[in-house]
Amino acid sequence: MRVLRGVYEGPGSHGILRVAASMRGVRAVFRALPSEWHFPALLGGYARSGTAAPVTLSPVIPPFESSRAPGDFAGDLSAAVRRHAPDAVLVARSDTALISGEEPPEMSFPPDRRTGRSPKLIRSDWESPEVGEVEAANLALLELVQAFANRPRSRTKEPSVNLFGAPVLEPLAAAELAEMERLLGLIGVEINAVVPLGAGAEDLARLPRAWASVVLHREFGEAASLYLQDEFKIPRVAAPILGAVGTGAALRSIGELCSLDASDVNRVIWGELANTARLPWYARITPPEVLEGRRVAVFGDLTYALGLGYTCARELGMEVIWSGTYLLHMERDFMWRAEAFTDEAFATDDPDEVAARAESSRPDLLIGTALEAPVADSLGIPFLELCPPRSHHPLSPAPLMGYAGTGAIADALDAALRRHRSEPPPAGDNLPWNEDALEELRRIPPFLRGRARRLAEEHARRAGASAVTREILQESRTRGR
Amino acid sequence: MTILNEAGTPDTVSPLYCIGHLGEALPHALFVVVGTRAEAFAARTLLSTFGPDCARTAYVVLDPEPPERGALAAEVGRAARRYRECELCILVVGRTARLLGIDLSGEAGLIERRLHLAVHALELPSGGFTTSLEDSALAALLRRAPADAPGREEGPPKERGGFLSGLLGRRPEDSRTPGLRPVVLAGRASPDCRRRLAGELEQAGLEVAGFIPSPPPEEMPPVGPETVVAPLQPYLTETLRAAQERGAGVVHTLAPVGVDGTARFIRDVARAAGREINELARAREALAEVEGLRNRLRGLRVFLTGDTGLEIPLARTLAGAGAVILEVGTPRIARPALVPELQTLGVEIDIVEAPEWTRQIERVEESRPDLVIAGPGLYAPLTARGHLCRLSLDFLSGDIYGYAGARRLLELFITPLDRASKLDALEL
Repeated sequence: MRVLRGVYEGPGSHGILRVAASMRGVRAVFRALPSEWHFPALLGGYARSGTAAPVTLSPVIPPFESSRAPGDFAGDLSAAVRRHAPDAVLVARSDTALISGEEPPEMSFPPDRRTGRSPKLIRSDWESPEVGEVEAANLALLELVQAFANRPRSRTKEPSVNLFGAPVLEPLAAAELAEMERLLGLIGVEINAVVPLGAGAEDLARLPRAWASVVLHREFGEAASLYLQDEFKIPRVAAPILGAVGTGAALRSIGELCSLDASDVNRVIWGELANTARLPWYARITPPEVLEGRRVAVFGDLTYALGLGYTCARELGMEVIWSGTYLLHMERDFMWRAEAFTDEAFATDDPDEVAARAESSRPDLLIGTALEAPVADSLGIPFLELCPPRSHHPLSPAPLMGYAGTGAIADALDAALRRHRSEPPPAGDNLPWNEDALEELRRIPPFLRGRARRLAEEHARRAGASAVTREILQESRTRGR
Repeated sequence: MTILNEAGTPDTVSPLYCIGHLGEALPHALFVVVGTRAEAFAARTLLSTFGPDCARTAYVVLDPEPPERGALAAEVGRAARRYRECELCILVVGRTARLLGIDLSGEAGLIERRLHLAVHALELPSGGFTTSLEDSALAALLRRAPADAPGREEGPPKERGGFLSGLLGRRPEDSRTPGLRPVVLAGRASPDCRRRLAGELEQAGLEVAGFIPSPPPEEMPPVGPETVVAPLQPYLTETLRAAQERGAGVVHTLAPVGVDGTARFIRDVARAAGREINELARAREALAEVEGLRNRLRGLRVFLTGDTGLEIPLARTLAGAGAVILEVGTPRIARPALVPELQTLGVEIDIVEAPEWTRQIERVEESRPDLVIAGPGLYAPLTARGHLCRLSLDFLSGDIYGYAGARRLLELFITPLDRASKLDALEL
């Protein structure tokens, strides 16, 4: 049992629903209490489309006394198939359903009149309260791929790749895919299938035809791309495609796997570096002391946290003082890769642990998720919300990946650091704190501690005190309200 | 009137959404959501729509193993100590916590004893309205309200003068009319709206003893056999039950929504408090003030998908202004609180109880209404399909009650029409 200020990811069922809502012809049946039903509202705000969320609620208990009310698991699955005629039904169980020990029914569906094929039932019987949103999305996508991409197919005549992106509710998902499609088009590689956004059963069945898989978000496409590698010998490119170095490395790897002429790929890379990529230009034109040796801390998922860590360290010469991930199931993978750019890598899903690290290390720049925003605000340090979960769903999202993404990263960095440079430095040195005051400070949540410390020291200076006492801290908090 | 039970899944969101509204009404309360990552995620996601400081919230995320007795109390204690002026702790316990063996009342008692803090333990309703948790919270608060002292006329005269007089700092000698029972208004409303509504009731000669919820717990009005409890919202069924358990008089009447609803509300509250009044003149005056707005609703075809529990009073107001109601959806019909509303609604209006939200999309497409009052899951898809929508949650902001709120209510219906006509006039 833990008290948390927030959570970085949702339950496993949320990940399954995200995958279902990303695809065509997939219906999710969500076994849950009506009070656990809010996915359509979330999706509506994100998708801005006329399509309702492809999710059917099967209440763990019927919401109201009625003999016709839904609530029978098998009956609700059949009803969803009758009404929506999907190619696949994906079962998601809420934590309530999981803890109550309910298993999804074993059943099959009659063939569809139009297609002659029976909808596939994906029971997600690996679900448990310990499996979080991202891991569940990864596994749900694997099961869908296994269900439809289950026989070898001849390779496409021209070089082609499968693109594995993020599911819905990741604000940049479509923009990242569009940037990768653009770059692949430039080096002459066709797209065999894009998964999961917009993919249907026919796209999944086509996956074994690709020459390679390009995994934009390993946390979501890891299992499915490994299945294609093991089953159909389709190699994959899975390193984060962030920054000019990461993007160039990915394009060269794809070129190799697709038997392209290396000089042709290099010509495209040089053209992009000259015309599109802005980060190398920013790194050269910015005075060295603005970036070189500046202490940056990065916290997030896997892809963005690693990719941005590499970029800050390799391309900008910044010192990554620590980097962490909230994806505990990918901890070993993250630690192994993060060691390339930081001495302090860690995994935690407690926002206050991240806040405490920020408070004790006071980086010059914090790159994190929406949950780190109040920490940076409290400490008065520049902050970039570049990792999911993000608080903002832009109407016109710009990619962070690829060469176009390097421009977005450069702009974000420049804005954050310039704003910080224009702010006056804190007056004088830190005042000493007595033990009582420190004890009181420790009671304040880490994400508010920086602000409390600043206000107390300002208040003490105004009062002409030589040290911060418990009373001064309490007074400053009362005034700061 | 036809009431059809579609036995479907209505377009509601988790009742955890209401923590945002309760946090605004109870700024010194700490809300602790107890459950698994699922509840924490849902609450955090839904509360993000209110802004970062809408409510003091902490999430207790349980492990799969049953917790030891007292463990929850210890964790809540740590969370509560972080906040200054924390007067109240509202534990919201999800079904998962129950299944994992949390002893809700035992843990709440421990927290209360250890922290000397008023603790209300609420079970997260498993369904119903988006507002169901608000009802549970208000019922819990009411159960803790002081009892109205028997034989208080015999003691020294208490400072009294009604809610409005109290706010204005006037504390006259006991001016209560003998035999007139004080009124407690149950339900959330904005501070301005509360003040105006209390003024409207006091103008009718009634004494408003206070509101539930009441931000500082010490200002909680007494509730007992001498009190009349009147709900502002028709979904407060548990709150009214709690009032009845205290022996208070409970008013089943129209919600004070719209001019007609407010007039009837004041008349019936007055009757329950022991005074016969005639609201006709005031109602006529109020109607004249909003006549222009009401005229704009005449003939408007409106579809209400239903999620908050306010949909039937809204439909009644719209129909009263001459709008054509195509469908009123509602997750459930809360009897007997809704009986007066149903009787006033009109025979030609159809109600769909527990509507299936996906079928409502089809019915909206077929009927092509001029305006849809839509739940949060339907709002974006229907807007994207070209329907003019107003989000149902906008009506929960708490400004629509009383005569003064009637204008605000009508504006909520009309502003989407105005904006749409301005946008339609653009040459894109």
